[in-house]
Amino acid sequence: MLDRDKGEHLPNLRPDRRPPHPSWLPRQRRGTTPQMIGRYPDFDVLDAVDTWDPATKKVVLARLEPAGPLRFFGPEEEPALRALCDVTTAQDREPRVPVAELVDAKLADGELDGFQYADMPDDRDTWHLVLAGLDHSARDRYARSFARCTVEEQQDVVRDLSQGALSGGTWDSLNVRRAWSVCMRAILAGFYSHPWAWNEIGFGGPAYPRGYMRTGPTSVLEPFETPGATAEDAAQAVADNPEVFG
Amino acid sequence: MSVRNLLKGSAGPTDNDSRFLLDVHSRQLPGESTMSRYDESVEVDLVVVGAGAGGSVLAQRLARRGWRVVIIEAGPFWHPDDDWVSDEAGSHGLYWTQNRIIGGSDPIELGKNNSGRGVGGSMVHYAGYTPRFHPSDFATFSRDGVGADWPISYDDLLPHYEQVERELPVAGQNWPWGHPHSYPFSPHPVSEAAGKVWRGARARGIEMRVGPVGIVNGTFGNRPHCIYRGYCLQGCKVNAKASPYVTHLPDALAHAVEIRSGCMASRVELDERGRATGVVYLEEAGGPEHLQRAAFVAIAGYSIETPRLLLSSTSRRFPDGLGNDHDQVGRYVMVQGATQTAGRWPEELRMYKSPPPEISSEDFYETDLSRGFARGFSIQTVSPLPIGWAEHVLADGHWGAALREYMRDYNHWATVGVLNELLAQPENRVTLASQTDQYGLPVARMDYTLCDNDKANIAYSTTVTTDILKAAGAQDVLTIKRFAHLIGGARMGSSPASSVVDANQRLWGVPNLFLADGSVCPTQGSANPALTIMALASRLAARMADGSAMSDDPEARAGRPPRQVANAQE
Repeated sequence: MLDRDKGEHLPNLRPDRRPPHPSWLPRQRRGTTPQMIGRYPDFDVLDAVDTWDPATKKVVLARLEPAGPLRFFGPEEEPALRALCDVTTAQDREPRVPVAELVDAKLADGELDGFQYADMPDDRDTWHLVLAGLDHSARDRYARSFARCTVEEQQDVVRDLSQGALSGGTWDSLNVRRAWSVCMRAILAGFYSHPWAWNEIGFGGPAYPRGYMRTGPTSVLEPFETPGATAEDAAQAVADNPEVFG
Repeated sequence: MSVRNLLKGSAGPTDNDSRFLLDVHSRQLPGESTMSRYDESVEVDLVVVGAGAGGSVLAQRLARRGWRVVIIEAGPFWHPDDDWVSDEAGSHGLYWTQNRIIGGSDPIELGKNNSGRGVGGSMVHYAGYTPRFHPSDFATFSRDGVGADWPISYDDLLPHYEQVERELPVAGQNWPWGHPHSYPFSPHPVSEAAGKVWRGARARGIEMRVGPVGIVNGTFGNRPHCIYRGYCLQGCKVNAKASPYVTHLPDALAHAVEIRSGCMASRVELDERGRATGVVYLEEAGGPEHLQRAAFVAIAGYSIETPRLLLSSTSRRFPDGLGNDHDQVGRYVMVQGATQTAGRWPEELRMYKSPPPEISSEDFYETDLSRGFARGFSIQTVSPLPIGWAEHVLADGHWGAALREYMRDYNHWATVGVLNELLAQPENRVTLASQTDQYGLPVARMDYTLCDNDKANIAYSTTVTTDILKAAGAQDVLTIKRFAHLIGGARMGSSPASSVVDANQRLWGVPNLFLADGSVCPTQGSANPALTIMALASRLAARMADGSAMSDDPEARAGRPPRQVANAQE
């Protein structure tokens, strides 16, 4: 068992800078998290939905509606899009935050970020070129499309994408490192805009008109928030403390 | 310390009733339905482009003097109860997301990072920090051999700093740095996350103080007290955080200012004598052009849109853009280095509670050549919400399972940022790109390249913040290199060969055209720019009202050599 207090789960503090397998995490007992894992097994941000103002409620709850269908990306792009969203957010099974649909909606609605690198096309074109590039690199290395590669193979391609180390095909018309940042901006904004992701990380969520009162130093927990799980082994604690647990 | 400020909140500002005009039960800017409407064919006294920090203050001040003022604003007239949300992704509409091209060796990301659009401008989504510039900022060239000297001095802005601080109102501890001063409201409580940073700074002998923030802490007319919900960057639905939307525009509308929102200014029109006759604007893409006639024109579109509008306003007299005879328009645009460093502790801190701006230090603001570079930086706490935190984690090189692991650890982290004074350089500039926007107008291109002094400053400041976190016992540290704020791009100076406007912010070569925003600043210090932009507009208004801003006396236009005001540390 990893000691959360010592930060043994933090990639930078681990010998290989790789994260531990998520099996060290507790299963979610309340509400939904992506893949039903998280650090706050008894927290559901949606329990506080009655304290949100109507405008916020409308915007946030819309993300829980059934997602799709895709409007911006074509059917031929869908497998690579889903594979890229899954591998960059480590979503390997249901329940998933519908990152592909959230990205698609943003691009279909023309919700761009207000800047375009001089050596890059429009963000919308960048997305098309990246998905084509992923298939190009996957075929080049593994003789199959990006979506049909194993997760490890996909991770290898994405690692090179993140370091700007892909070339050939559509990559040659892109600044690859910047293309990575364009895609990740949209993917992360999609994933961490979703209440399930807030449950996973224990984020208190929208706070108007309620506000926060417990900002420290006696406590940082609101009445509706719950503490994170600890490394304590429940069975061991019972065995060690018979006077407490009888 | 002013006697007024000793009274801490019990003596309000004069000549601005905005705080009483607001409705306690609604976030709506009062007076929209009864707003004055001027016929565009009638010449008003002043047309202002941009309803942000500069334009709103200028309009409010002059309207109180009886001027008939129209503000042309590209973005929407906000209705915060309906339009603003307590949510990161849902706040996309607050930012200037129309296209802009970014180039140079260190391109600066725009949009949500530093650009606003709509009534209230980018102060609608600024964090809330409102520090003053230091007296030294007005003479960096004479003092340190870098940047430029202003044609005005700290003393010229001082009464306006004090007035605007009362209007926002600014809450904070007595300020020991620069020109020592106090604030009209007491400091806010400090959260546990900021407490970590403070303890680390104390261990390293670095002085930190609470504030200064333009956030109500106590009774201020109908503006409520802050509720510590942490969504300052998403628009304050509470009306506790200052922006012109609540601090100046209510009073402006009550004094017959018209805000024409959703209108994109496309050029300034000149008559054959070279005077500006008004501003041409478009209500919709492909629609007809409108011309609002005015005796005076003030542009307050900030460091990218102001140069863009000047460069787009070509004529026989100004073939390369208005006021651009000497190729100065768009040059010397600046941003601040804004690297953020986060530290991890075993206990939960939940940094998302409380406004992101809590405590700051200006111990490193002034030049100390032993550090190996000129000028300096400030240190300020920040507290990214989940999407911002994800970008922070990504910047440290984590994605996939590693990113999820760091994200799940969100509640254990506290974040401290810096603002590096990056130096004004002629090749850091705004030009017109070949692309056009939905109105068919050429979009702006902003090129940015750091100089060696900038790089040394950024590198040094990151070691300081990392050291603070380590001294406070941080187990792990994650760093994101980024930039914030905009300033310059149409600077004020003593001669048309090296500046765009004179000491009265009046365009060289056009007698009735003023710039009323942050684009006029020749240097930026390590201070967040909002307060200074408002103070400059306040000063400009006073000088336009008494006519001194229209002076053609060469010495008045060139300004006076900066008087020396001692900095605290000297």
